[in-house]
Amino acid sequence: MRPPADAIGTLALIVGVIASLIFVGVEAALVYAVWRYRASRNLAGEAATFERNRRLEIVWTAVPALILAVVFVLTLGTMAEINGAGVAPAMRIAATGHQWWWEFGYGGTKTANELHIPVATPIDLDLTSVDVIHSFWVPELGPKMDMLPGTTNHLRLFARRAGSYDGQCAEFCGVEHAWMRIRVVVQSQAEFDRWLAAQRAPASTHGGDGERVFLSNICVSCHTIAGTAAAGTAGPDLTHVASRATIGAGVLPNDVARMRAWLADPQRYKPGSLMPRVPLSDADLDALAAYLGALR
Amino acid sequence: MTAIPLWVRRPAGERVGWLRTVDHKEIGVLYIGMGVAFFAVGGVEALLLRAQLATPEAGLVDPETFNQAFTVHGVTMILLAVVPLLVGFANYMVPLMIGAPDVAFPRLNALSFWLSLVGGIVLYFSFLAGGAPDTGWFSYAPLAERAFAPGTGVDYYILGLAVNGAGTIIGAINLAVTILLMRCPGMAISRVPLFVWMTLVTSVLILGAYPALTAALVMLLVDRQLGGHFFDPSGGGQAVLWQHLFWFFGHPEVYIMVLPAMGMISEVIPVFSRKPIFGYAFVAGSSVAIAFLSFGVWAHHMFAVGLGDTENAIFSATSMLIAIPTGVKIFNWIATMIGGRLRMTTAMLFAVGFIAMFVIGGLSGVALAVVPIDLAVTDSYFVVAHLHYVLFGGTMLGIFAGAYYWFPKMTGRLLSEGLGRWHFWLTFAGFNLTFLPQHWLGAVGMPRRVFTYAASTGWGPLNLISTIGAAILAVAMVVFFVNLVRSLRSGEIAGDDPWDAFTLEWSTTSPPPPENFARIPAVTGRRPLWDRKHPEARDQR
Amino acid sequence: MSAAVLGRRPKIGQDRTLLGVVIFIASESVFFLAIVLAYVAYREAGLATAKANLDVVRTAIFSIALFASSGTMAMAASARSGAWLAATMILGAIFLIGQGTEYARLLNEGVGPGSALFGTTFFTLTGLHGIHVLAGLVALAALFTANLGRARAVHAVAWEAVGFYWHFVDAVWVVVFSVVYLGTLV
Repeated sequence: MRPPADAIGTLALIVGVIASLIFVGVEAALVYAVWRYRASRNLAGEAATFERNRRLEIVWTAVPALILAVVFVLTLGTMAEINGAGVAPAMRIAATGHQWWWEFGYGGTKTANELHIPVATPIDLDLTSVDVIHSFWVPELGPKMDMLPGTTNHLRLFARRAGSYDGQCAEFCGVEHAWMRIRVVVQSQAEFDRWLAAQRAPASTHGGDGERVFLSNICVSCHTIAGTAAAGTAGPDLTHVASRATIGAGVLPNDVARMRAWLADPQRYKPGSLMPRVPLSDADLDALAAYLGALR
Repeated sequence: MTAIPLWVRRPAGERVGWLRTVDHKEIGVLYIGMGVAFFAVGGVEALLLRAQLATPEAGLVDPETFNQAFTVHGVTMILLAVVPLLVGFANYMVPLMIGAPDVAFPRLNALSFWLSLVGGIVLYFSFLAGGAPDTGWFSYAPLAERAFAPGTGVDYYILGLAVNGAGTIIGAINLAVTILLMRCPGMAISRVPLFVWMTLVTSVLILGAYPALTAALVMLLVDRQLGGHFFDPSGGGQAVLWQHLFWFFGHPEVYIMVLPAMGMISEVIPVFSRKPIFGYAFVAGSSVAIAFLSFGVWAHHMFAVGLGDTENAIFSATSMLIAIPTGVKIFNWIATMIGGRLRMTTAMLFAVGFIAMFVIGGLSGVALAVVPIDLAVTDSYFVVAHLHYVLFGGTMLGIFAGAYYWFPKMTGRLLSEGLGRWHFWLTFAGFNLTFLPQHWLGAVGMPRRVFTYAASTGWGPLNLISTIGAAILAVAMVVFFVNLVRSLRSGEIAGDDPWDAFTLEWSTTSPPPPENFARIPAVTGRRPLWDRKHPEARDQR
Repeated sequence: MSAAVLGRRPKIGQDRTLLGVVIFIASESVFFLAIVLAYVAYREAGLATAKANLDVVRTAIFSIALFASSGTMAMAASARSGAWLAATMILGAIFLIGQGTEYARLLNEGVGPGSALFGTTFFTLTGLHGIHVLAGLVALAALFTANLGRARAVHAVAWEAVGFYWHFVDAVWVVVFSVVYLGTLV
């Protein structure tokens, strides 16, 4: 199948060309009328008096109608194509919108904010929300689709080239709507399989001060780290948090130093986000940041 | 008759009579005053938004303030600026244009103004009461439910819009009855000026659309204050019901905003082309078609909601259909100019500007009717660009055309043409600089309603250009205000008919006497004043 | 001002007040249509609760009072009779009292606007209708009072206009009763 983005791009090009022609034609007629008939040119005689022409009215009603009919037929065709008509998806991924982060589920395995998919493979996203309406939008990969609480929508993805693609939430969802960014990593099937296997495994690091700090604070009430007692679901799954490129759905790049800064005061970087500021000692912060930084 | 504006004519001790007036002309001025004031406020809000967005990751305002600002900007411009301006001009001019002494229900007319204003005040009171609404001008559920908008902002939104809406509905009843039953002898409905036609059609739209908004607001209030579940999925409700109800109002609302402005330029273009409007019947008839169709396109605001391909296809078709009668009008206006003797007054400049900008807005609108394109660019700055091209490039330029055209009738003085030209060209330049780049920003992925954006997106330069355009627009508006104030004081005296115009309002004094006409006129055609001035060349219809 | 002479019935197509009232009724109809559609959209989800809690027969009896009041209103308007007007007001009040007792019973049983989807839609729809009936009673009372004074000073159009509004409120109840109450019988 063709990537939805390509199908839309082709249609947009056709519509764009038609629109440009109409634009040039109409604006030229307007400019011509103003230039040719301005009174300051001292034209001879009185203004014309004609005020109707039924045939002309019919023509300039029928011609746009015809153009639009053609555009409509093309629209129907592209609509069917981008839905993946006749092409079954190789994989379904559950995408759930939260204020203000993304939850992705591969079967029972959960990750957050960063979606990995294999290249040249038709994928269906099953979209929903736990709170308000969000919208999944990665422009280079195709159209957007809203995520509504209480229903499930579907979006077909098909990426032609491997690489990293960025997008963000496209339905105003509250105070941090602007920082609900998405990264989609398109990989070869082999790389994707390796990534998924790693995501399925429990946490790669055990014991140590960092884990102790995590488990003895309120972190556990919102976050899950598979292989530990932490099983909270209100916030992103952190089992492999260090494998992701950003913190806070795009608000900070993901490295130990910035993780520490985020942990010290998330409200500073994403004011209004639902992660509270937990007062921790410097030593605890160091340990925690190092621990999370090792959870690849 | 000396050119003293009506509001000055009252002796100093009676100025408070403005608060109790039931004269349609004074009420028209009140509406226009309200519109001008809120336009300035909405403009300041816009400048705040553009200042914050000029550079990536700016910290000029926090997200909470930004979100309140764009919410209130939308409500203000649409319901508190544009609609009152249009209703104000309609109130002032329609009775004059149909040869009537006033509107059908003068006291209700006053009530409708005060309700409109109070609704706006209630909305703005929210700033003092814990925060303005911050859920966007169309305030989708469930974001607008108590759980996600716990303050009182949304409640003020509900109350303010309901009161304002009641005022608009009452105003529409008044204008409709006036046009249907108070036309002077000889003025068949097929002879009324096109501004009057558009006002009639707009009134019908208001009466069909605003009640749906009121219903939605009541339901949201029940959810928020009585624990209801209309839009609450956990209680069995559906978020999408709000969208259906809101857009059933919201789409006709945009035609409510554009049709009267189209009526204004349908008056301005013939007078300054020295020709009758080309295709009167088609311009009038196409408005009826637009009104009818406008109730059948609402879900094109919801293509990405997941209604399904069949529903999307139907609304795509109706949305494309509605482009046809709109295009017809544009061709008729251009045909009116062809063969004419064009006087490029400021009013005419703005009318021509309307056409030029509305073509762009209309084309981007048709693009949005193409579902797959919409799925790519809806909820992005492409839509912001589209809506501003039709509502600012279209409606506001049309209102400016009407303002320059009718200011002399209302005040007895002309606005300065010199300042008018500056106003026009600064507006034209500033407007396009602000909104043209936004088409591209949307296409490459900038969503709407974001208080900032990552530097890595590369959206900075175009946003900066857009903000510079907004600054130029602000200067243009200052020029206009200066023109207004100066001309009110010392503008050139206009006389009854400074433009050598065609319709009845120019047959009486500037400003008109309280009873409008010394004697109720009788007409035999669409251009009664032209017929009077050119009895050898009277109109045939 | 209406040109109708006392004694001649004003026509909608000629009288400003009547036309205004008719247009107002049209716009209120759109309002009620929206609320009814929301009720219908959610009807299935709330049907079980509706069937379990609504008393169709009792409400039908009170509805008859409202329907009859349209008849008395028509008599009042054509004869410009204060007596028939009073009968209309009494019947209207009976209807509202019936509604009130129905509300009290439901709230007692734990069915309210916040309880479940049926409660939300039921109370909103019937409540809005009840408010319109109340407004109608106020209009009737104003007409009655004016008529007690100089009856001849009350224009014919006032009787017609108030009558139209009252018939409208009645017609809305026909729809609401059918959809909400009779709808539990299918």
